[in-house]
Amino acid sequence: MYDTLLFLHLLAAFLVVITAVTYSAVALGADTGGRSLTVANICWDVGGLGTLILGIWLALDVDGYEVWDGWILGAIVVWAFATESGRRARAEFESGEGAGRASLMHWLRTGLVILLLVLMVWKPGA
Amino acid sequence: MSALAATRPDSWELPLFLHVLGAMVLVGALVLAFTSLAGAGRAGSGTALRVGYRALLLASIPAWIVMRVAAQWLADEENVADLDAAWINLGYSTSESSLVFLIAATVCAGIAARRVRAEKGEGSGLALAASILIGIVLLAYAVTIWAMATKPT
Repeated sequence: MYDTLLFLHLLAAFLVVITAVTYSAVALGADTGGRSLTVANICWDVGGLGTLILGIWLALDVDGYEVWDGWILGAIVVWAFATESGRRARAEFESGEGAGRASLMHWLRTGLVILLLVLMVWKPGA
Repeated sequence: MSALAATRPDSWELPLFLHVLGAMVLVGALVLAFTSLAGAGRAGSGTALRVGYRALLLASIPAWIVMRVAAQWLADEENVADLDAAWINLGYSTSESSLVFLIAATVCAGIAARRVRAEKGEGSGLALAASILIGIVLLAYAVTIWAMATKPT
């Protein structure tokens, strides 16, 4: 069970980073076209939900971790901020208004995704 | 395995972080290149070809280097570099053979983008070839991610 959960959790995290990389190209001025952005948005929807649900499931499954551990609660808060900043970046890129603000929201989300990876690897307080 | 996950030595953490980050950016850039080049192959779009080519050249290959160097660093820290385990052998063989595919896809995408820019053709055949190479690499990486997560013996 643990192996399967970890694999799916990791796969979901890869999907999240596909979104971050695609939006980074857009924020840097690349004209990626609608298809790439559609794929990126689907990856965020599936990967974002997958990381959260499977992450909590893993915390319940693994001996020595609890959902209320500081680093897990911190990761959930960071995930929520990343999701909201990603939602704003997506809305503003799609509306075509305020490219600067859309890029800012995107880079904020990207930084938060990297912070999530830091929390998952170092597990402060675990 | 679940108990091991909770007791990883501190010295493994930086190389593990760089290895996973490099692998994630590598896959992200490959998916961007794949979606751009697959679309460009049908539409003959120079813009999409350039995006696909740049994703390969400026993101995939640097990310591959970060992933591979960090993998070796991590293997040395864990003392598993010479271990004859299936998941390690799969990791080495996939990463090293995929570099050949990445370089070939980058060359194909680069020539296709140059042809379209010089108006010497559509470059759709080369874009399709690059897409197929990237697709093969992505499938291999999916298997490798499973092997790295589950570490089958």
